[in-house]
Amino acid sequence: MYKIPRSNYPIIEGWIEPGSRVLDLGCGDGTLLSDLAEKRQVEAVGVEISQDMLVQCISKGISVYQANIDKGLCQWHDQSFDYVILNDTLQVITRPNDVIKEMLRVGKYAIISVSNFGYIGNRARILFQGRLSPKILVSGSWHDTPVIRFVSIQEFRHFLKRMGIDIVDARFFLAFSLITSLRWPLVNLLTRNGIFKLRRKI
Amino acid sequence: MQGQIVETKFITFERPFRLESGDVLNPLEIAYETYGTLNERCDNAILIEHALSGTAHAAFYHEGTKKPGWWDDMIGQGKGFDTEKYFVICTNVIGGCNGSTGPSSLNPATGRPYALTFPPLTMRDMVEAQRLLLLSLGIKRLRCVVGGSMGGMQAMQFFCDYPDMFDSFITIATTMRHSAQQIAFNEVGRRAIMADPRWNGGDYYGEISPEGGLSVARMIGHITYISEKMMQEKFGRLRKDKDSRAIFRPTFEVEHYLDYQGIEFVRRFDANTYLYITSAIDNFDLVSSMSGPGRIRGEGRARGNALETLSRKRGLVISLTSDWLYPPPQSQDIVRFFSGLRVKISYTEIATDHGHDAFLTDHMKQSLIIKSFLDSIERTR
Repeated sequence: MYKIPRSNYPIIEGWIEPGSRVLDLGCGDGTLLSDLAEKRQVEAVGVEISQDMLVQCISKGISVYQANIDKGLCQWHDQSFDYVILNDTLQVITRPNDVIKEMLRVGKYAIISVSNFGYIGNRARILFQGRLSPKILVSGSWHDTPVIRFVSIQEFRHFLKRMGIDIVDARFFLAFSLITSLRWPLVNLLTRNGIFKLRRKI
Repeated sequence: MQGQIVETKFITFERPFRLESGDVLNPLEIAYETYGTLNERCDNAILIEHALSGTAHAAFYHEGTKKPGWWDDMIGQGKGFDTEKYFVICTNVIGGCNGSTGPSSLNPATGRPYALTFPPLTMRDMVEAQRLLLLSLGIKRLRCVVGGSMGGMQAMQFFCDYPDMFDSFITIATTMRHSAQQIAFNEVGRRAIMADPRWNGGDYYGEISPEGGLSVARMIGHITYISEKMMQEKFGRLRKDKDSRAIFRPTFEVEHYLDYQGIEFVRRFDANTYLYITSAIDNFDLVSSMSGPGRIRGEGRARGNALETLSRKRGLVISLTSDWLYPPPQSQDIVRFFSGLRVKISYTEIATDHGHDAFLTDHMKQSLIIKSFLDSIERTR
């Protein structure tokens, strides 16, 4: 399995009101949710496709639902969660637009992390070597990586605008462990990962 | 090697036991077995609910027998339901024919078997009888109630009627209500029994029982218990008997298999019990039972109280990918319903080719999932 970038966790924690209801799509072994349950006393629910991961969630006492998130979230009623999280998962789903629509149907806020394909390191690798960066592929090579979507911060922002989704807050990870919330265009070049807190335009 | 030995125990309640229908059973006998030890706080009990054809003999061996209980793979030392940690109880449902009061029991009013004078029965009546037994064993609070198929229906009914009695529930391959197709299959089974002249309006005790009808009912059941793929792989078009003159005698392997299942079943099962229990299954409707008038009928008094405690309870819903009798979407409905009641619920699908029966046979994955579920409950309670 690939490494979960834990550096997102403090930001997600900061965005989440104590005692709220949180749904984590592609929750893996439930580490984020059990952190949130402990530190923010949230009512946590996970969705995970792998049964091995699911057993680990159950061991942690996390409620978890085995499903393919590409098939929709019809299991949950409209606005039944305060936050729906898609952390480090966007790049592996088949129909991101449907999934994001669903997230904002069942939840008030969507929290989505984006591995930035537009990052200068990725561009340099393509420019000089003509190959994809292994960091973008997460694991495996071009033919067996779980990653099927290559999205840049800029691309993602255009998408949100077209979908009528508001960015409530966003953080971008720069070099030397710096994090910025500024939204200037250069971010697309300098950030390796971004994370967005979104809601439907009111 | 002979495993651990267990004996079926019996308890008789000599007072009126009121059913949801308003009828009364007196006396009421319940057959049950227990595995493991009840701790001093009396809070490590797990109630196992059996399916349509099950018995109280869920695990271990009866003295001198070679075949263990029906869920022995799951219950025992170090198994899914670890008898080192838990006190596991299984009872034969009332209406049954393996020790608990049912249509083949003596009706004290007539001195003859009840047969069709046995009152109509519901899932709720079955769990009310179990509640009596639990209370007489001094158990007011259980770690978990669990069942597959019809056992899952009882587990949900019990959990919803008395949420403060349980920390959690587990259902495997079941539904909150039968679909038209599921009722239809059961009805064909019942008609097969009733069409057998030996059934005689249910009055056959002391005579030859309606074996033909009951075995056809079982054969229909068995077709629904295994997947098409498994049946094809196991039997295909293989023939046992190549004698081409054997017209309309079972020659295909699959015919022999069903024949065997039917014969094996009639030896141990009562045809009237089959009618009563399949009707109870068809009439079961969890959601309407929670709001309907039945809620205040029958034995229970404190029934349906403490629904607000549900948000502190946990549930585990397991479905089987190739189960076409109780397919995964029906289990997903269970999750949706209990999520609505704010129960902390988890859902998983076990990948198997074995169809509905996998809940009895595919114990490896079930054990792992159930074990981690029960462990986490122990840690967080």
